[in-house]
Amino acid sequence: MSIYKTSVNKPISTFMVFTAIVVMGIYALIKLPVDLYPEIDPPFLSVMTTYPGASAADIETNITKILEDALNTVDNIKEVSSVSSDNLSVITLEFNWGGNLDESTNEVRDVIDRIYNLMPDDVDRPSIFKFNTNMMPIVFYAVTADESYPGLDKILDEKVINPLNRIAGVGSVAMIGAPKRIVYVEADPRRLDAYHLTIEQISNIIASENLNMPSGNVKMGALDYQLRVQGEFTDSKQLSDLVVGNYNGVPVYLRDVAQVRDSLKDISLDEKINGRTGLRMFAMKQSGANTVKVAKEINKQLEELKKTLPPDIKIELILDSSSFIKGSINNLSQTLLYAFIFVVLVILFFLGRWRATFIIALTIPISLIVSFIYLFITGNSINVISLTSLSIAIGMVVDDAIVVLENITRHIERGSSPREASIYATNEVWLSVIITTLVIVAVFFPLTLVSGLTGELFKQLGWIVTITVVTSTIAAISLTPMMASRMLKLHDVSKKRKKWSYINTIEPLLNKLDDFYASSLKWVLHHKTMTMVLASTIFVGSLLLLRFVGTDFMPQTDESRISISMELQTGTRVEETIKTARKMEGLIQERFPEVELMAVSSGADEEGSMFSLFSTVGSNVINFMIRLQHVDERSRTVWELADEMREIISTFPEVATATVSTSGGGMGMGGESMVDVEIYGFDFNTTNTIAEDVRQKLSQLPEATDITVSRKKDKPELNVELDREKLALHGLNSAMVSTMIRNRVHGVVSSRFKEEGEEYDILVRLSEDHRNSISLIEELTIMNPQGMQIKLKEIGQVKEYWGPPTIQHKRKERIVTVSAKPNGVSLGTLANKILTVVDEVETPQDVLIHVGGSFKDQQESFQDLLLLMLLSLILVYIVMASQFESFVMPGIIMFSIPFAFTGVILALLVTGTTLNIVAALGAVLLIGIVVKNGIVLVDFTNLMRDRGMRLYDAIIASGRSRLRPVLMTAFTTMLGMLPLALSRGEGSEIWNPMGITIIGGLVFSTLVTMVIIPVMYGLVARSGERDKIMKLRRKMSSLED
Amino acid sequence: MKAVYIVFNQAHTERVEYILDLLKIRGYSLWADVKGRGSISGEPRMGTHTWPEMNSALLTIVPADQVEALLEKVKKVDEINKEVGIRAFVWSVENSY
Repeated sequence: MSIYKTSVNKPISTFMVFTAIVVMGIYALIKLPVDLYPEIDPPFLSVMTTYPGASAADIETNITKILEDALNTVDNIKEVSSVSSDNLSVITLEFNWGGNLDESTNEVRDVIDRIYNLMPDDVDRPSIFKFNTNMMPIVFYAVTADESYPGLDKILDEKVINPLNRIAGVGSVAMIGAPKRIVYVEADPRRLDAYHLTIEQISNIIASENLNMPSGNVKMGALDYQLRVQGEFTDSKQLSDLVVGNYNGVPVYLRDVAQVRDSLKDISLDEKINGRTGLRMFAMKQSGANTVKVAKEINKQLEELKKTLPPDIKIELILDSSSFIKGSINNLSQTLLYAFIFVVLVILFFLGRWRATFIIALTIPISLIVSFIYLFITGNSINVISLTSLSIAIGMVVDDAIVVLENITRHIERGSSPREASIYATNEVWLSVIITTLVIVAVFFPLTLVSGLTGELFKQLGWIVTITVVTSTIAAISLTPMMASRMLKLHDVSKKRKKWSYINTIEPLLNKLDDFYASSLKWVLHHKTMTMVLASTIFVGSLLLLRFVGTDFMPQTDESRISISMELQTGTRVEETIKTARKMEGLIQERFPEVELMAVSSGADEEGSMFSLFSTVGSNVINFMIRLQHVDERSRTVWELADEMREIISTFPEVATATVSTSGGGMGMGGESMVDVEIYGFDFNTTNTIAEDVRQKLSQLPEATDITVSRKKDKPELNVELDREKLALHGLNSAMVSTMIRNRVHGVVSSRFKEEGEEYDILVRLSEDHRNSISLIEELTIMNPQGMQIKLKEIGQVKEYWGPPTIQHKRKERIVTVSAKPNGVSLGTLANKILTVVDEVETPQDVLIHVGGSFKDQQESFQDLLLLMLLSLILVYIVMASQFESFVMPGIIMFSIPFAFTGVILALLVTGTTLNIVAALGAVLLIGIVVKNGIVLVDFTNLMRDRGMRLYDAIIASGRSRLRPVLMTAFTTMLGMLPLALSRGEGSEIWNPMGITIIGGLVFSTLVTMVIIPVMYGLVARSGERDKIMKLRRKMSSLED
Repeated sequence: MKAVYIVFNQAHTERVEYILDLLKIRGYSLWADVKGRGSISGEPRMGTHTWPEMNSALLTIVPADQVEALLEKVKKVDEINKEVGIRAFVWSVENSY
């Protein structure tokens, strides 16, 4: 019993099966989380090792090198790079995509265990850090305050952060730039010397005074009392009255030698939001949580929490990654809806019947809904990729139903009952319907096998299109015949039609089109050579045009965000940095009315928070985060604004390097395109000179902008060089002296002051104006074990040096990277320019220059896609060759593929789009769609030939008969893509290129299919099936007599 | 007794069954998938890719006086649409068990 017969005979069962599918799909749709991209686990691991007190060079030789050598042997590793900076070594391991990262993590841990003993004693155990897209903050808030500013830290922690942390799905909420309370004890060194005291002594006294001690139990009468000594300070003022020593029988109070300040920590990070003092707060979600839902919940809760805050505290949203997601998803849902409407209109136009249109259109929601079930089962989300996949599929899922329904209609018009017509007509076409679907699957399924980042992103596309198209075929041979048997009826030809009815308006039009096509086909069949020469010329001509199409990696999106990172001269103190920040802030407020919100942070948080993993920080760095008005509300694009900001920054002489970036730091796809010139070499001076040379050459290129050198300028250092002989003479050693210097300059946390359940550091050190010059440092008093006061200059010298702040490695070699962003040109053009420039740079033998960056990613991805295309072509050939049982027929059909690429090139040129990964993917997908048209035509021509028609008659007759179905499937696919190509909403930039390539390729190749394929058929298929039979019969010629 | 051999496009199956019921003919044998082609005109019925349609064949043994009515009905069915196709052939039954 065949599937179509069963479904026609059991309409209720069929209906119920599909209802069940729809119900499950809707359930999945409700449960599915919404996200921007599929969750990707980037195959990166970081190994962080701290070695307190070591310089970058020490770290490099003692830690980084040892670890790199050992880690290089880990399986599946792609690239090892590292950064050695003062106190810290960070090694980044990149693995091949698609591997098991947990396994790799274990292996890395094993390696570390093995070599930990080889490292210096003081080294902390290396920690492994796994990076995940979930770690990107999903919402950023700017918090500003006036009077409440000093206590902001505590207020927010209690009233906002704790409640927010309780929301389901919130990973953590944190703040940066929060003012911290601290109690400073700042001593005057001359007074200390006079009273014969040291910082260490003061610190010890404070620690031993600030103490609560349980001292046992006392039993008195019937009760048992706890005995306690209560020594803790209840007020920071009490510190001043501490007795720290005795001089000539007179007690010395702390206030005599030092100043006690209960205040905010000295600025090292300055946060200004729209010019007001404030801080930034951000939240991260838990793995697998729904970004949109969590962000919405946070925003809702925050509105409530705001009411409990003092009135001068304002909380404003800087960045809500969910709003971009929502925008893109809404936009794509709209695209999908328009595509649906277009497809239905096309069917109605060609068929002219409501009932038939309804039956066909019904397959659309059913096939699309199945993909939600797939997403739900595999734990995926509704995201840009899955929705775009649906947009691509929507035009293709109706094709099978059209073919089936057309044949059923033909049978009904011949007088069969709808029920019988449905069964027998489906029986006639079900096989060819399945084969054309196989062709589509042959193109989309390999997408699921692609490796690398491209593969991770396009896996879903491959699966979704495959699943929807297969479902549509199943629906076409079960649901469609069932519905047709119930709903279709014989048209009464004798019935009088209204003047404006379909039969009197569109039908004659289509008939005329058929006639016109048949006659032109006749003409080209008699001018085969000319047609082929003309076609080849067009193809070769379009290849020549390819030079003018720029190449790119990923399309850039206008996310209404700009971030600026400005670096001043290394070593600039934060106060100077802040001045520049204020100046820039003023200019931005003045010149850019589009800026809605601006958060500026200058300097670095001392502890080096999590945030410093994502952006460079330092006392000389200014970071701007700017939110712009919505795309529709402003006339200038984010790129125009960024260019103008770059111009402004270039007028600042103090800015050493600056980057203006227009992407909000979205992982992977949204990232900006860059070309990196990698300079490998051991000697700092040589590589620095070459890097500078490259930088200058690049800055002369008009195509390049935002040029940055990865190796930071040498930073000034003061080194204390101790004389060991003199040290020994005084009974000191380097360790003792260096600790004492640290205590005097950096300070020592002697104890913690407790108030209302919170603890604040008590920091003892010399006051600022006694430690801010080389001579003052040399004047530092060191006390030896005998109690003698010795000046630092007696035992050593303070010298000024320049040292590299960081040393970067890639593939275990020292590297400097000079990166540039394209300025108004495509990434490929810039890369080629840079390649020629770099060739001119003279390099010594031991230095190697290599051009990489997203350019390398682009090339890798293009290679992947090329391979994919090859695989698709082979699979498509295999499917067709077996269908036609011929080696030649697939060749005829595949002859239309090059012309699809001609169409792609023309479409890209006309619209000024660059050939990026998405456009290239569109070109690959075209193979399947284009070939499908060819199959319909060639299959029917074969049929006509087999039925005994003469070659040309068969070609013309089948062309005439298949014109409408071919146009119909082409139009449904094209119009399905149209919203994708034209959409101008948020995030649409990513998918426009795909729509453009597919439409361009399809328009052109459809035209060509209808002309070139018949001509090719006429040339190649002179001996049809008929001749094979003739040949066979000639062998039996003995029977003829 | 006469044997009537009706060969028809599968699309006519329901109509043929109805005719038999209408004429109260109970006994028949039916071959569901039959290949063949007409002597004069009409498309071959081969069930192949080229000629996808199929015929069915039915043999019924009826009293001689029913033959006329049966052929008339078959002709009516054929006239609905000549392209679909139905033919009936009659011969005598010598003996039966």
